[in-house]
Amino acid sequence: MMDRLWSLVSVSVLAPFFLFIPGMVGAEEKVVIGGVEDVILLPWKVKLPARIDTGAAKSSLDARELKIQDDLVQFKLPPKYGGMQFRLPIIEWRHVRTPEGLKRRPVVELEICLGSNRIRTLVNLADRSMVKYPLILGRNFLKEDFVVDVKRRRTAKPNCPAIP
Amino acid sequence: MKMVDRQNQFQKRLVGLSLELMFLLVLIVPLLPLGEASAGEKMTIGEVEEVVLMPWGVRLPARIDTGAATSSLDARVLTVKNNMAEFSLPKKYGSLQLRLPVVEWQNIRSADFKERRPVVEMTFCLGQKLIHTRVTLNDRSTVRYPLIIGRNALKEHFVVDCTRSYCLPPNCQEAPSR
Repeated sequence: MMDRLWSLVSVSVLAPFFLFIPGMVGAEEKVVIGGVEDVILLPWKVKLPARIDTGAAKSSLDARELKIQDDLVQFKLPPKYGGMQFRLPIIEWRHVRTPEGLKRRPVVELEICLGSNRIRTLVNLADRSMVKYPLILGRNFLKEDFVVDVKRRRTAKPNCPAIP
Repeated sequence: MKMVDRQNQFQKRLVGLSLELMFLLVLIVPLLPLGEASAGEKMTIGEVEEVVLMPWGVRLPARIDTGAATSSLDARVLTVKNNMAEFSLPKKYGSLQLRLPVVEWQNIRSADFKERRPVVEMTFCLGQKLIHTRVTLNDRSTVRYPLIIGRNALKEHFVVDCTRSYCLPPNCQEAPSR
């Protein structure tokens, strides 16, 4: 008798949660992020602040001491963010218009963790020592289901499942 | 017999309590995500939107740029005299001549050059909102859109969805509709 009662109690207490959780997920199809977000570069687990930039067609990373060797590009992150050295295959070259004229930049593929989302995306490399954020996430990245609310900043700590 | 009665009473109470709890939860749970939904009350705009410059009624396509701190306008033949900025809009958008007071100067620092640009105040209609904001003037003939709408104008009312463009046509009461 008591068993049945308890099951009734627990079902009645828990039922609303089960009813509402699917509804909430459905409403949150797109993740709202702020004008600046902390992300993690995978698999290296380097944490960087990123400017979320709907004015940039493609994402870009502040790459120092850039060297090209055949199909590979070697570079370092800014010292402020650990200065880790990378060696990655060049996926393509991109011509970008800058105030100083047309420039050619190597593009690599990176995996980025933002909130609980792991996203593989193309990022072009350039020395960005003049600007505030080492990583710019542009429209090619944001098209993966994000909307930007610049009133907010750092809305979610990077917390991706299956990061060993 | 008494025991059974008591048990029944207890049972009824528990059922009543659980029903109350359920009722409360049904009431409370939908209220919980409200804090997050405040972003949902903002209007969603795309990466490019058409706006109307007020009070002149000039329509311009604008790049919605969360990477830009302030908005900026493609101002051609720009001169500043006695703190008044004189310029014209690009030919493609009617070459309207404007004369507006300079409210501040903005120092632009980029890799190789330094520049000072005049800032004026303007009103434009974006969606149903009239936005009064500071706009930096410079010759932007090399870029695609004559107006960049930056974070200063987006903060209060808008969220940006890059999978869309031209999704919120200008529709302010004061603005002439097409």
